[in-house]
Amino acid sequence: MRFRSLALGVAALAFASLALAAHEATRTAIVARLQQQLPSWSGSEYVQGSAAFDDALRASIEENANAAAPVLEAGHKLFTAKFKDGRTLASCFPNGGRRVAQAYPQYDPRLKRVVTLEMAVNQCRKAHGEALYELGEAETMGAVTAYLRSLSNGQKMAVRVPAAAEPRFEEGRRLYFTRMGQRNFACASCHLQAVGKRYVDTPLSPAIGQATHWPEIREGKALTLQARIRECLELMGAAPFAAGSDELNHLEYFLGYLSNGLPLKANVYRPPAR
Amino acid sequence: MIARALLAGALALAAALPAAAERPLSALELFVQKDKGYCIACHQLPAGVGPATRADVGPALEGARMRALGRPAIRELLVDPTKANPATLMPPFGRHRILEPAEIDKLVEFLDALP
Repeated sequence: MRFRSLALGVAALAFASLALAAHEATRTAIVARLQQQLPSWSGSEYVQGSAAFDDALRASIEENANAAAPVLEAGHKLFTAKFKDGRTLASCFPNGGRRVAQAYPQYDPRLKRVVTLEMAVNQCRKAHGEALYELGEAETMGAVTAYLRSLSNGQKMAVRVPAAAEPRFEEGRRLYFTRMGQRNFACASCHLQAVGKRYVDTPLSPAIGQATHWPEIREGKALTLQARIRECLELMGAAPFAAGSDELNHLEYFLGYLSNGLPLKANVYRPPAR
Repeated sequence: MIARALLAGALALAAALPAAAERPLSALELFVQKDKGYCIACHQLPAGVGPATRADVGPALEGARMRALGRPAIRELLVDPTKANPATLMPPFGRHRILEPAEIDKLVEFLDALP
């Protein structure tokens, strides 16, 4: 009896290891593929994304280095504003929100869901009887996450995929590689297959590093990663998944894990969309 | 008097609107419009033919290469490029009804006539 339990335990452990290996095997394969395509690149280029291919875009980012300041000020006000019960958003996060964003999205075993940083903000508001922010609203959720993520600047991305979350990661991977919409593009068509090529005038960023620099500051507003993915889906001629849907959460989870080890750099300036 | 003039203007506008909506797009418009081919997002045109871009997801389009391909092959590519290359990034403009058959014909002529 004891032997059978032990055997079952060992089998379960082996299975868990295999399951754990799946997401890491995916990441390793994508890293290897991009290293072959971009042999001279190190971590800093991946964090720059499309700007690493474009001198003019890098110059424009430097010229607009303070573009995020008003957004951060608004975000700081919201983050520290007292709720009706006297608590604040800051009180919901460890260290007042410092060094937490790099671990998001994260799997919540109690909810059995992937929780993004935006969802964590709304969970806090709900717990304290406050109205939820619209996930795609730049003035509230955008500004708060801009500020909150800025408190983790320089921290290395550290998204964990426990065994129970493997199917969520796998769905994110599957969606990233699935051709969608009238134009028949997959995310991977542009961000793996055509990395560095110019779509219209903008170089296509690689999948690794894409999760590090959100929100982006465009036309004075904070644009979350999910809002940007929704823009991409529209370009693809696909009906965008709703902000905060499991589909977008799993895509963000997949992208977050791919960027593990790279330093987070929130609130990167981007010029207006053309 | 003013009311009659306004009515006449409104009627003229109403008559003009459907005509404007139904005007067939030129090949270049089909090439550059976001809700049509939007080929310009991926391909460059020879200088002077259309807007200058740095797009290079697909190859630059040159007349000699187009004529080497020939009209039937260009048409096939526009209708469904995945038949020739399943891994291609080019959208299936015909198969996915992004462009109507007549619009595809117009683009074939346009591409075949490039300098």
